[in-house]
Amino acid sequence: MTQSDPIFRLEGVTRRYGNLTALDGIDFGAEDNSYIALLGPSGSGKTSLLRVIAGFEAPDTGRIWFQGRDITDLPAHERGIGFVFQNFALFPHLTIFENVAFGLRNGATKVPDAEITDRVRASIDMVGLAGLEDRNPDQISGGQKQRVALARSLVMQPKLVLLDEPLGALDANLRERMQTELRTIRERLDVTFLHVTGSETEALAMGDRVAVLDAGRIVQYDTPDAIYDRPIISDVALFLNRFNLFEGTLKDGSFHGAFGAAPVSSVRANDSDVYAIRYDRTRIFDTDASDLPGPALPVRYLASEYLGSSIIFLFETADHKTVEVDHHLSLGEPRDLSVGQNYILSWDPAQAIVFGKEAAQ
Amino acid sequence: MESKILKPILAVYVGLFILFLYGPFIVLSILSFQQGPEGGPQFPIIEWSTYWYQHLFGLTPPSRIAPLPVGEALVRSLTLAFMTMVTATVLGVMAAQAFRKRFRGAGVVFYLIVLGMMVPGVLTGLGTSLLANNVVGIERHWWSTAFLAHVVYTFPFAFLVMLAILNRFDGSVEEASWSLGVSPITTFRKVTFPLIFPGVLSAMLFAFTLSFDEFPRTLFASGRDQTLPLAIYGTFSVEIHPNIFAFGVMTTLFSFALLAVYGILMGLSVRRAKKMAMQEDIA
Repeated sequence: MTQSDPIFRLEGVTRRYGNLTALDGIDFGAEDNSYIALLGPSGSGKTSLLRVIAGFEAPDTGRIWFQGRDITDLPAHERGIGFVFQNFALFPHLTIFENVAFGLRNGATKVPDAEITDRVRASIDMVGLAGLEDRNPDQISGGQKQRVALARSLVMQPKLVLLDEPLGALDANLRERMQTELRTIRERLDVTFLHVTGSETEALAMGDRVAVLDAGRIVQYDTPDAIYDRPIISDVALFLNRFNLFEGTLKDGSFHGAFGAAPVSSVRANDSDVYAIRYDRTRIFDTDASDLPGPALPVRYLASEYLGSSIIFLFETADHKTVEVDHHLSLGEPRDLSVGQNYILSWDPAQAIVFGKEAAQ
Repeated sequence: MESKILKPILAVYVGLFILFLYGPFIVLSILSFQQGPEGGPQFPIIEWSTYWYQHLFGLTPPSRIAPLPVGEALVRSLTLAFMTMVTATVLGVMAAQAFRKRFRGAGVVFYLIVLGMMVPGVLTGLGTSLLANNVVGIERHWWSTAFLAHVVYTFPFAFLVMLAILNRFDGSVEEASWSLGVSPITTFRKVTFPLIFPGVLSAMLFAFTLSFDEFPRTLFASGRDQTLPLAIYGTFSVEIHPNIFAFGVMTTLFSFALLAVYGILMGLSVRRAKKMAMQEDIA
């Protein structure tokens, strides 16, 4: 990926609703011509952030820059930033063709009819909806509506398109297909997508870069693999839904938790002591095993989930905390476990990520 | 078991309800076919005839009963109702639109608007006429002071109708339009208005019918030239003939025609409303 000037930049953007701070002094810049996923749990302020960038809401403090221009005080219709809604927000009283043509027809600059027809047709072709131009929005499926919403936005040739959980209203199959399609479409055009999602798989799969939002702040902005391998704080590890997290205390170079003491080589700054090990790095042993690679966590086996390429085993610790183990089937047949039986989980301590208050000082 | 007792009771209740609702009109329609010019406004029907309808349109030979002086009043009332309808609906839509955003003093403004339909009509009429005569110093006319009183009265109805409609309106289509570079004014014209049109139609119907048969406010505020309800009331003070009933039937039929037009226009825009509802379901 090539680094370039930011297409848009936020400077200390804060947005409050009464006592609630949705955006807490956000500083953020996004590379031109890239796919950025904005990941955050519900209530993290991710939709507020999009609405502030789009101009639907004004920030309480802070500035917004777009293509080198301060657009903080510019109304939404003068910003030239596309927006794709989760509920599609198609114009129900217009045909698909007129939905896509809407911005060209009613915008500030007059576009000749012939050009409108050409551009609308090209745009509808691009999202693969040729032949449906004369349908009404209530005569097409959810996935098709999503494409119309996208075509409607892209026909205006924006440099930035904001997508607010665009796949949230689609079923799982369609969601995966649209993921690939969104990426392909974006790559064909010189445009930046800022895609908001609450799904960590979607964010990691789609973004050239992923920004993780937590409690109104962007806590990490990096490539998907960097976020996956090196979550910067324990909350990020928690959203990723790929780590077993243990509370405990960090003292004198080792972490004391439910698994006993484990040696620690490096510590990341955090507001509490947390020990994280990835699901697919956690391994299962019998209670009498002697060749453990590291700490020993006594657990009881609960259930398993078959995912096609891997199996997730669910265990419970003595203090009723659920621990997951992801066994990839390419690594060989999984063990035969019996429900209710006790096992030991262990891992290579070098692969764990340790967060600690100590490092913050 | 329960429904075996409850159903007949409810049926009787509904029957009585409808009888009370339409009883006066039915009696009125029957009596309008009384024989004329001797027949009076009471039972029994001496002989069935359309005499009073002919009398209404001046098609009968001259008799001692003067033709109903309603021609000009009818035109006046229709014009006034139309003016009121347009003004009240425009104001209603604009005010309801303003209430989509919370603003300081919204609660107070809401009650101030709704007060217009709460205060006793006679007092509003009297107040309007006093204000015109003694404070501002202008003459009272049906098209000035009475018009004002009608707008004050009907505007809250139009406002409440539009408030209910806009309350259910999903604003994301408007935001979508803005994000496509379309100004808020064009957005209102091309997106919001077509989608809230069924509501606008209802607001118009309310304003028109309320103004058309408005009596207490008009009584003092209209000045010299009378509107239809006042003109009809005026004939009561002399002697009642079945020609008033015939006229009543005619105006009621006119109202039905109006409702039919409303129904047709509504039916046309319901398709749009359906589409809107489907989009909301997905959301």
